[in-house]
Amino acid sequence: MSTIRQNIKEEEASRIENIDFKMVTFSLAGKEYGIDIMKVKEISKANRFTFVPNSASYVRGVYNLRGDIISVIDLRVMFNLPAPKVAEGVMEDMIILRLDEMLIGVIVDSIDKVVGINSETIQPPHPIFGDINIKFIKGVVENDDRLYLILDVERILGQKGEDPSRGPRPLAAVAPVEEEAYPEDKKLDAEPVTSEAKVDFSFVVETLNTFRHFVVSPLNIAWTEHRFEQWKQERGAAVEAVQLQNAEDADTFLLPFYSDASGHFFPASLKDSYAALFRGLKTDRGQIAVWNPGCGRGYETYSLAAILKELFTDKAVKIWAHDKDLLSISTAPNLIFQKEHVPNYLLPYVVEGKNGLSVGPELKDLILFEYHDILHGNPFPEVDLIVARDLGSFFSRQDQDKLIRIFTEKMRTGGLLVLGKNEVISDPGWETVEQAGLTAYRKKR
Amino acid sequence: MRVEYINPFVESAFNVLKEVVGSNVERGELFLKSSSQPVLGVAAIVGLAGDVEGRVLFDMTKDTALGVASAMNGESLTSLDELVKATITELANMITAQAVTKLHELGFKFDLTPPALITGENMEVTDTEVEALIVPVQLEQGKIEINVAIRERA
Repeated sequence: MSTIRQNIKEEEASRIENIDFKMVTFSLAGKEYGIDIMKVKEISKANRFTFVPNSASYVRGVYNLRGDIISVIDLRVMFNLPAPKVAEGVMEDMIILRLDEMLIGVIVDSIDKVVGINSETIQPPHPIFGDINIKFIKGVVENDDRLYLILDVERILGQKGEDPSRGPRPLAAVAPVEEEAYPEDKKLDAEPVTSEAKVDFSFVVETLNTFRHFVVSPLNIAWTEHRFEQWKQERGAAVEAVQLQNAEDADTFLLPFYSDASGHFFPASLKDSYAALFRGLKTDRGQIAVWNPGCGRGYETYSLAAILKELFTDKAVKIWAHDKDLLSISTAPNLIFQKEHVPNYLLPYVVEGKNGLSVGPELKDLILFEYHDILHGNPFPEVDLIVARDLGSFFSRQDQDKLIRIFTEKMRTGGLLVLGKNEVISDPGWETVEQAGLTAYRKKR
Repeated sequence: MRVEYINPFVESAFNVLKEVVGSNVERGELFLKSSSQPVLGVAAIVGLAGDVEGRVLFDMTKDTALGVASAMNGESLTSLDELVKATITELANMITAQAVTKLHELGFKFDLTPPALITGENMEVTDTEVEALIVPVQLEQGKIEINVAIRERA
């Protein structure tokens, strides 16, 4: 072998050996950038992020990465580069970064490839780079006739070197304050109330939580306040009478809260109202997918199944019925009941067993009863209808917000969300639908 | 997780442990755990495939493993040797097999993988797609957590 050849070989070998820095490359507004691959957890395509109100303009929202909720940032907006509006349903390129223990998604124009370089060839950035603040650039490197700017993601997105004037920090600081002060503030806005009544009210709020895990929040504050006024009149003026002394008091207080026919089959009138409401469900697929979290012993689920089966004769109905109460959910698939409790519209689906009546396979096969905690991952496809009556009010404030996010994520655009009759949400992603005396929410985008 | 899957595992764990370990067996409160869970130290894992898929993990501390293996072999074992490992693996096999027999009777058809034994400290097991049901079983020798994560095949 000639010496020249050998030299070339050696040179090549040494060059290959010297690749000690790999970066994921992508483009932003026509320019090439790189991010250290060690910071990249994965790359993916995604769309339909859940918008977070009151966040910085470059925060696109949050995204459910297989159960982990991560924040998503649009790098183009952050760097004041043009960010073309994407059409509905178009997937965008996202790089998921791991910074310290935190995961964060960044949207870029397009992801290119992985480029391996020798870290010694990285040159320091020149102050002339105007398009992105120089302190965010680790260096510049040339590879294959292309010039890449290597971004210092830790500086841009991490805790290190955080600029107090930007980032989602103020949001986090505001949230808990709002949480604690909410019921009182609302009261003050409405009308002047004596401080005594305020104390009583906050005591009721406390005890409802203690005895029955009922959490007063924007979801149910209107009902709670109204009920409190009613309660005072029922109980008389004495302070001890107004306050909730035990679990029974809390139950009495909450009695009017529960939606009609909780724990029973829907009576015929309610069935008709729900049928009118669900008639508004439009889908061009062959399946109506329904989620019924907090299904309890299954009365609600079976009623829903009968209504939907009758309504959508040309479509397959599929219901995921979940509950965290093991005892209730265990009885649900083989629920036994008496004939006098069965409304007429359900009778065709009922079969007689040796212990009493139960629901036959015609309805049962539409339903999958599962023991499941909604706050864990929810690994099933998107649905057209969510029925979660009187569920959210029994979650903490934080989990209620999470719940709405989960619903937004799991719902198809145009799908309907049914909450309890005394529960309201005011979220920009949802519009109110009223039909036959019932209220539901339609997902806008 | 479908309710039908739960009982067979709880029952067979109870039956098998009572038979082989002989002592008092008490069942704790069942609960669900989400994606990432620490493992106590000795874990036997059995995989399921077929109509349903997933895995069952029998999780215990090293001391519990030694105690259970000692009771099953009728001699005092003090180190995590081949015999102890084989015994724990066999225990996992027995419990899963009995549960699966019951599920077969209910009409679910699936296969098992042979159990694998994993030991070590500070391990975690992650299932992002399915939450796990934990069945804590209290023995004289210590606690075994039976960690069931199975689901319908999509």
